[in-house]
Amino acid sequence: MAAFVPYTYFQCPCSDSSTLAQSSGSNSPSSAHPDPDDGGIDDDSDRAFDPRAPRSNYSLYPLEYLLYCEDCHQIRCPRCVAEEIVTYYCPNCLFEVPSSNLKSEGNRCTRSCFQCPICIGPLAVTSIETKPDPNLLAAPDSASHSGPYALTCSYCNWTSTEVGIKFEKPNSIHAQLAKLRNGGTSRLTAKERKERRKDPAYTSQRAAAGSERESSDWQEDLDLETQFANLKLFYQSQLADPNSADHGLSSLGDLGFSSPSSLSRIMSIYTGGSLHDKKAKSRVGAMREALESDEGLQLADLDESAAISRLRQEGYDGTASTEQLLEQPPNLGEEHLHGRARFTAELRPIPYLLRTKRSKRCPVCRHIISKPEAKMQTTRFRIRLVAGSYIPSIAIRPLSLSGAGGSFSSSSTTTVPGAPLEPLKPAHFLLTFKNPIFETVKVTLGTPARTPGRFASKVTVLCPVFEIGANTDVWDEALKDSSGSDRDGRRRRGKGDEGGGGGSGGGGLTNQIEVGKIWERGRNWVSIVVEVMPASLHLREDEGDLPLREEEDVLEIPMFVRVEWEADVGGDEVGSAAHGRDSKEAREKRELAYWCVLGLGKIRRS
Amino acid sequence: MSRRPPRGEYIETDTGNKVARKATLVGTQNIMLGGKTVIQPEVMIRGDLIRSIQSSSSSASGAAPNNTAVSIGRYCFLSRGCCLRPPGRLYKGAFTYMPLRMGDHVFVGPGSVVQAASIGSHVHIGARVAVGEFAIIKDYVRVLDGTVIPPNMVIPSFSIVAGQPARLIGEVPEGGHEAFELRDLYKTVGNNPQPAPS
Repeated sequence: MAAFVPYTYFQCPCSDSSTLAQSSGSNSPSSAHPDPDDGGIDDDSDRAFDPRAPRSNYSLYPLEYLLYCEDCHQIRCPRCVAEEIVTYYCPNCLFEVPSSNLKSEGNRCTRSCFQCPICIGPLAVTSIETKPDPNLLAAPDSASHSGPYALTCSYCNWTSTEVGIKFEKPNSIHAQLAKLRNGGTSRLTAKERKERRKDPAYTSQRAAAGSERESSDWQEDLDLETQFANLKLFYQSQLADPNSADHGLSSLGDLGFSSPSSLSRIMSIYTGGSLHDKKAKSRVGAMREALESDEGLQLADLDESAAISRLRQEGYDGTASTEQLLEQPPNLGEEHLHGRARFTAELRPIPYLLRTKRSKRCPVCRHIISKPEAKMQTTRFRIRLVAGSYIPSIAIRPLSLSGAGGSFSSSSTTTVPGAPLEPLKPAHFLLTFKNPIFETVKVTLGTPARTPGRFASKVTVLCPVFEIGANTDVWDEALKDSSGSDRDGRRRRGKGDEGGGGGSGGGGLTNQIEVGKIWERGRNWVSIVVEVMPASLHLREDEGDLPLREEEDVLEIPMFVRVEWEADVGGDEVGSAAHGRDSKEAREKRELAYWCVLGLGKIRRS
Repeated sequence: MSRRPPRGEYIETDTGNKVARKATLVGTQNIMLGGKTVIQPEVMIRGDLIRSIQSSSSSASGAAPNNTAVSIGRYCFLSRGCCLRPPGRLYKGAFTYMPLRMGDHVFVGPGSVVQAASIGSHVHIGARVAVGEFAIIKDYVRVLDGTVIPPNMVIPSFSIVAGQPARLIGEVPEGGHEAFELRDLYKTVGNNPQPAPS
């Protein structure tokens, strides 16, 4: 089992209607503080956030995934931002595709970029050697660049010759493949199809085939494209036919598919005319359905014996999986699927789907909050407002007090990371808040005293209100280091070691961890201690307890974080979340409040 | 950590490279390190697999032959037991190796084998990953543990790939760019390592 890694997820306010209203309206300062001492919940969201609620799945994100709108002063998540495509490019040849090409040629790469239909690895164009002649090695240049070419997968060794596809040229494979059916027979273009019909040899062959079988049953095998073309032609001729409309309406002009009269005519075919007036009813007989394969009729071939015998032969392994079928692009040159199973031997190379670069907009104020450079090669962003540079990050570390802190050289007083938590034994975690902004922030934390869910663990934040220094220049810290904060931290640690000599008992703990005191602080970070008493996972199944669900043994604590700071008033800012208490100094008070979820560890199963 | 070998586990060069004494570097004259790169013990770099045919027509023929087999940028981190091996193939009828290029801030996880043609900057390759021959990995790519990247595969920027064979499973979010920085990790190894900042 993989070791558990503590995590922090932040809730985006977009899923919560109350916070949405809060962010748009003026933020009332009278909204009650989260009362930290008894772990009570603040009043403005009248219930504690439950990280296990089904809705929460969709609103919790790691900090890296969140953006921040500077105009709304609010967190934005990938789910609520509006995306706009900046560039399309092929992930294989890295060519940018202009959007005009996209409309005409679709969303796949039209160069020679293909994926293996079996394993989705990239396919390479290789020449099929006719004969490995040892004499040719002397003059390699002439020998290696000739002959038919095939696509081969270097991961699973699939080649396109397995489905009978070979290419004459090593370039513009996409265009060549579009003309080829599996088995190497070429697909007819519309023009060719028309010419074939006129061809006397073809008609005589067809007549011969027709006389061989029973004439009424005979039909041409149409591929999807031909059938569609035939059907379209047939319906167009039907609509254009003046005899089909015995009323004066269509004589007003050549009405196309889009005209209301032809639409109602088509509708009347399917509704049986019963819903329509008499006029429509009388027109029903005017149109008929396709009767021949020339008109696009394709009878379903219900004889599946061929597929069954093939299944017997090749077994389950020969059939294509759902994923493989989903990856297949629609192939117009294909035959009908009537009575056919899908085998892996019929899969075609997949042209690469294009990828995009996207910019992101705030859903409320429509300001752009993330915009990459349009060029595919560059990785820079013109605008990139990530939440990580606005709200404090939270790092979690287990804190062991009985181990006397280990050596002095390292600051780590950690236990084995990822070890399961003992139920009903208090455990301590160090939360390190790191301030990314250039102002000193005041942080207020609130957690419910007991975690929501079936197994309520007790949670106590020992220092729920503290200030974090500004993210100033690194040199400031270096200068301060000799005198201030570092020594303070060391002193604190030293004192802890004195007190907790044999300390696994409760008395030892109180000496070390002081309620209301910061554990350690640095230039722009503060560490505080959270004490948890993990619940017992004991289930009484005789009393109808449901078995343990997935991830239910993970101790997750919801935490409400409120950050307050003073910022310079920006020139163009509306300041929706700000109230200018001391506006004369052009400083305004800002606050940001959000829920987050701390995944501390797994509780040992009893 | 408490018991150090007396000479120091790493050789630290003037440009800040930290090369473990127990690393196996073959053909060191063909390996270029950009500086501040960490090479952990049991890493193998095959600098001996140099180009056997010079690209005669394209490059300036009069100049000294460029024999660089592996070039590594700044702040790269090669974890224990990984292997960098230049890719080789038939070129104009003869077998030749091609140089392996690596940008800055590239992390290669323990036990991974890299045979890529080029790896961009800010790339994280997890543990036990196999990067196939002539694969091209662009900038800001995360390769998860146990991935097998097939030969010739191109992985564009901001991709997260996993699986055997590798497939795109996600995109690197906007806020995740800083996580690729390896400056802090560089400081945590060497002969007098500093603790990781909390």
